[in-house]
Parts: sequence; structure tokens; C-alpha cells
Amino acid sequence: MTEDKKPSPIFRRIMPFLILGAGLAFMAGTFRVVSAMPPNQTDGEALFTAKGCNACHTIGGGDLVGPDLAGVTERRTEEWLTNWLTAPDQMLASDPDAQAMLAQYNNVPMPNLGLTPDEVAALIAYMGGGATTGGATAELPTGDATSGKAYFVGDKRFENGGPQCMSCHSVAGLGAALGGGSLGPDLTTSGFVQSDAAFASFMGAPSTQTMGAVWANTPLTAQEQADLYAFLSKASVTKRDPSALLQITLLSVVGAAVLIGLAQVYWGKRSKGVRKPMIERTLAAKK
Amino acid sequence: MDIRAHVSMVFHLDKCIGCHTCSIACKNIWTDRKGTEYMWWNNVETKPGTGYPTQWEDQEKYKGGWEKKNEELKLKLHSKLGGLGNIFYNPYLPTIDDYYEPWTYDYENLFNAPEGDDQPTARAISMITGKPMDSIEAGPNWDDDLGGSPLYARNDVNLDELTDDEREQLNELERVVFFYLPRICNHCLNPGCVAACPAGAIYKRGEDGIVLLSQEKCRAWRMCISGCPYKKTYFNWASGKSEKCILCYPRLESGQPPACFHSCVGRIRYLGVLLYDADQIEKCASVPDHELVAAQRNMIQDPFDPEVIAAAKKNGISDAMITSAQNSPVYKFVKKWQIALPLHPDFRTLPMLYYVPPMLPVLAKTKDGNYDVDGLEKEGLPAMLSSLEKARMPIKYMASMFSAGNVQEVEDVYRKLIAVRIFKRAQKVKDYQQADVDAALSQGKTTAEEVEAIFRLTALPTYEERFVVPPLGREVAVEAWEVPLDHKREAGFGVRNKIAKRKF
Repeated sequence: MTEDKKPSPIFRRIMPFLILGAGLAFMAGTFRVVSAMPPNQTDGEALFTAKGCNACHTIGGGDLVGPDLAGVTERRTEEWLTNWLTAPDQMLASDPDAQAMLAQYNNVPMPNLGLTPDEVAALIAYMGGGATTGGATAELPTGDATSGKAYFVGDKRFENGGPQCMSCHSVAGLGAALGGGSLGPDLTTSGFVQSDAAFASFMGAPSTQTMGAVWANTPLTAQEQADLYAFLSKASVTKRDPSALLQITLLSVVGAAVLIGLAQVYWGKRSKGVRKPMIERTLAAKK
Repeated sequence: MDIRAHVSMVFHLDKCIGCHTCSIACKNIWTDRKGTEYMWWNNVETKPGTGYPTQWEDQEKYKGGWEKKNEELKLKLHSKLGGLGNIFYNPYLPTIDDYYEPWTYDYENLFNAPEGDDQPTARAISMITGKPMDSIEAGPNWDDDLGGSPLYARNDVNLDELTDDEREQLNELERVVFFYLPRICNHCLNPGCVAACPAGAIYKRGEDGIVLLSQEKCRAWRMCISGCPYKKTYFNWASGKSEKCILCYPRLESGQPPACFHSCVGRIRYLGVLLYDADQIEKCASVPDHELVAAQRNMIQDPFDPEVIAAAKKNGISDAMITSAQNSPVYKFVKKWQIALPLHPDFRTLPMLYYVPPMLPVLAKTKDGNYDVDGLEKEGLPAMLSSLEKARMPIKYMASMFSAGNVQEVEDVYRKLIAVRIFKRAQKVKDYQQADVDAALSQGKTTAEEVEAIFRLTALPTYEERFVVPPLGREVAVEAWEVPLDHKREAGFGVRNKIAKRKF
């Protein structure tokens, strides 16, 4: 074994301290990076767009998915609004006013946007300040329901590469029982499809966590939105046939029974044991 | 010729007294851990009997070992595709009931029981559920001394070869007979467990042939348990890994025989190296049933043959290993004298543990207060020891166990063993004529010198003669694929005492 070069004795003695010092310096650095994050935004108007409030709400432009916010600071107390903006999910669980509003707006819940207290205060100040926003941003062109269905199920690709709706949403009128995925809400009765203005406004810049993440970089074109809206608002799509539910129940029961039966045929002899049957056989033969 | 060394074993069943000391030695060293309660890497069974696990020899039930399909050697358990289909759901595993439900006794109660009208008792407590057991229904040697018979002994798979008359006779009072069969992993040359493992966790050590199961690679598929026809791999429910006999390799590597060998009261166990030709393995495992024993014997090579020695050296087998093979008692029993046979060669795994079959007493009746061996005078044979045809346990039974049904192989072994007895008896007790002795020697196809040598190694062997533990040279063998110094840890920050890496 050869040890060619050892560090000098002094260096060896101070090395642990050097390493400790380097570690401390590193930690201090991270701390400074954290504290250098941008300060809370206090500009209510900018927040209203940045946080995606405008996807569902107008101020003075009429209801979209959610209510028109003109005069909201007079209808509700400041405390209620603060609580609501901070944690709408908790309010929906406990507050009767919030629950009544949910029912009124087609059961589309207000998402929790993760606002800081400063941001909440800024937004309330903005809404109470008498500002107005426009109504729905753009008129949708005439949509084609057939093309919308093709987009929904993925037969046609979205121009900007977004995923087909069906991978997360289900809707009546697609085949018999299994109408699509279940990550997102069932669009058969969804409040998102109540008016073309609401639909277009929401799909223009979806503010919910999942939809926002999926569609931020792959927005739908106006024609695609119109086609989808045409499909989703068709009479056959907006109502789920009760027989479809029966069908899916039957399918699952029969399917499970068939699978269990197959397993029994194939693996039925498993783990019957050897000793006990042998004893029983021998005793039976004696009689 | 691809010569390799194998640490092999001989168990001399005539000397086994069924005391289970070997099982206890093994248990205390290896399987006294959680999850191994039901395992006996070494177990002793009573034959005829169904063994442990129940009827392990019945491969129609357990699908262990190999079979010939269209002239090809295939695992009986499954094809590759079938194995994939059953991978989550192997249908041929023994249940815990087929082993037995392990138990202990509530000894505490003997000391701590409150005062009462009766003596306190130590109830049996299940080591699986921890609850008292109402009745103990099975154990690792439930057949012991016919304790479980006739429910068990009559279901011995090897009795299938016998006629109904012969089977009935076995139960007559004067003919009742049994012997003991100690079993450990056979460390086969063509192991079914290795072939069945989907994770590649089982391997055969190159330098000594010990079959080991990697506790790191095992993924608990449990195919090895089905694949091994001897049911000598076991699943540890606590660690979630399978385990098996390791032939006490840590002891072997330090020059000691395995614990079960060392502790054997009857000194029935012999250990030594065999040199074999690995090129013949597949061919040897594929021959018809009645040729299996001969083919396996043929695969074992003479360690004195210069050609074999040269081939062994070419394969990196050390001089010390070759010397060890020349002194091996196993070589003498198996190849030179041909009186040790493999257990169930019909499973085609080529087991490397050989058994000298037991000399069971011949059938006799009492006449005027003396034993009269039935009909011997008529055959012109000397009384007592020579009549194989009158053996209490039919030769067909032994052939089913030790020679895949080849009666001739077993008879040859017995004729030689009988020759040894008659020769020594004539020497010591002097109640045989020289003509009888010569007749026995010629029937046994043996000579006076050979008989004397068999006698010495059977009855008077020293420790060194029974256990010729080779220098395994693990420290050398491991260097074939690993640099040992790589595993030596560095100290401190890795600067002060850096280990120089060795370059190869």
C-alpha cells in the first residue's frame, strides 16, 4: 500500500473547521435567496388577471361561470369576503351562504387559489373600488358539434397539442356507459357549459389548478372552443340516460363474475393442501 | 472434459439411530429466528412414511424436479410461459399444514400458575398464531417409530411399486419394519430450485458446488419451493425471502464439517470432495430412468487419473483440492465401492448427497424359542444375513427410493454389504465356513481387501477420515470477480488513511 501525498499537518487540523465554515456559508446563502423572493403584490387589478379571477368572473359584465362581482363588497361583509377568498373550500364545507351560492351556480365550486392575506386585501380593495371589467372577451364563431366530439374523444388533435378532453372528463352521449375519465368533473351536467360566454371565458385561461397546468402552454383556439361548446351543449350530451348507469353496473358485476370463474378454473387446485385430504381419504377408505 | 470439484456427502443409513441431534444442531445455529419456526434445513424422517412436508416425494402433487418431454429435459413445474402465467399464484406450493404448525409450550405457567386443585400444565402454544393449540395434528417427523401410522406410513409414495399382498404383509406384527432417513439439501448438480427461480437469486458456487440463495436478490416468488423436488427451500414469512441449507459454508471455510455432520451421534455422515465432468451434466440427467444411477456414477471422475488431474488443474482447481478429492470418503463409497446411491435420482436433479441403504433384518419366525430364518436351508444359503429375497422391506421399495426403480443397482449394493457382514462374522464369531465367505464375496463382486476397507470406513473411521474438508480457498476464489480491498472502508474524511486501490 502506498500513500503518496498526505496533506500538511496544519491543513489537516483546520480541515474540519473549513468544511463546517463552508457548510454554514452555504446555508446562509440559501437563506438570502429565500428572502430575496418578490414581495406580495398589492395591485388588485393586476392580481385579478394574474390569479385568473377573470376566467369566471366579471365586474359589471354579467355572470359567467361565477357571479358578477359588481357591488360584492356591499352584499357581503369584509370578514366574509376575506374568509371566502382565503379558503373557499373550507367555507363551502361550513358556511350556509356559500353552499346556497354553489347550488345557484350549477355546483361549480370556487377553487382555492392559495392567496396570501395581502393579496386578499388587495383584491377586496379592488373590487370595492368601483372598477369594472368587460364582459366575455370575444364572441365564439359558429361551432360544429361533430368536430367538437372528435376533439373531445381525441379523433382530432388540438392545434396546440393539448390532450383530448376524454382523458379526464366523461360526458353522456359517448358510447353506452363508459363516457371517459373521472379525474375532472362529469361534463354532462357541469356549470361550465351553461353559456358560450362562460365557456369561452373559462377555457381561454382556466384558473383551476389541474386545468391551469394542462392548458397554460397549449391553449385552445377560438374555433376549437366553439366546436367543443357546440358538442357539449347538444341535448343528447347534456342529459345522462339512466339506463347507462344500469348498464355499467351490470357490466361490472358480470365482468367480475367471469374473471373469478376463469381464475377458479385455472388455479382452482391451488393450496388445497396435501396432508388433510390424505388423512380424510385414508379414513374414508377404512370405513 | 470440464472437471470441477464438488463438496459431496454420504449418509450411512445403517448407522442412523433417529435421534434428531443433527436437526437440533442445525436448528440452533440457523433456524431459530422469527419466520423460520417451521423450517428444518436438516430433518430426519421415518420410512416408510410420508415425510416432511407430507408426501414430498409425490411430484404429481408438488411438481418438483425435472421430466423428459419429447426427449428434452424440462422443469416439471412449468414452461417459461406457464411460469409467467402463474407467477403471482403458484398453485403447487405446500401449505403450512403440509409442513406442520410449529408450536412451543407455555412453560411460564408451570411457575406462575395460581394455586389450584390441580397441577399446572404447560399447554401447547402455536408459534404462528400465539394462541393455545387444542390438538397437535402433525410434526416434522410425525411418522416417528410408527407413531402416525397407519394413516401416514401407508401413504408413503414409494410403496406404490409394491403389490397389494406385499403392502399388507408390511403391517403384520412380525414384519413391521422402519428405518430413518436424514435429509439436508442435496446441493444438486442440476438443481430444480435454481432453474425455477424467476429472480435468478439461487446459484451454485463454482469452487465447491454449494447451492446458495441470495437474500438480496430473492423476490419471494417462491418458485424454488415448487421447483425443488426434495422441498428443501423454505419461505421465511418474516423476512419475505426464501432460505435453504447452506452446508454450513462458514464452518467449511474454516475447516470444520457442517454442524449436522459434526454433531451426528451415530457418525453416519461423511463429507469429501468429488471431481466430476460438468460436460456430462445434461446428458446424464436425460438418460432413461434405469440408467440414471450408473450415468451419475460415470460422471464422477477418478482423482488419481493423470488426465483428470491435468484437466482439473486447467480449470483452476488447486493441488490441495485434488489431494482432498483423493482422500475423500465420498469417492470411496460412491465410485470405488459403489455402495452409496443418490436419493430419488428419478427427479433428475443429480443430487450430490448419497445414501448407503440400510440392512434391514431378514424375515424370521420363532421356532422352539429360537429365530428360524424361513426357508434358508432350502436355498443352500448360510442363515441370518444372506437372504436378500427374504428382506423385510422389499427391494422394490428401496429401488423406488434410491435407484429410480432399478432393482439390480440396489441388489448389487446389498450383496456387497452382506459380504462385508459375513466376512467379518466369519473372522470374529467364526460361525461361517470359508466356502460361505467365498460365495458371499463372489456374490457381492468384491474382494477380501475391499471388504476390509469398507468395514474400516464404516465401523472404525476417525474424525479425519469421515470429514475430509477441503481447503476451500474462498479468499482466492472471490478474487475472480471482485477486488477484496474495494470493500475495505476508508477512514475519516477519506484523506487521512486512504486505501490504495489494487490494480489487476
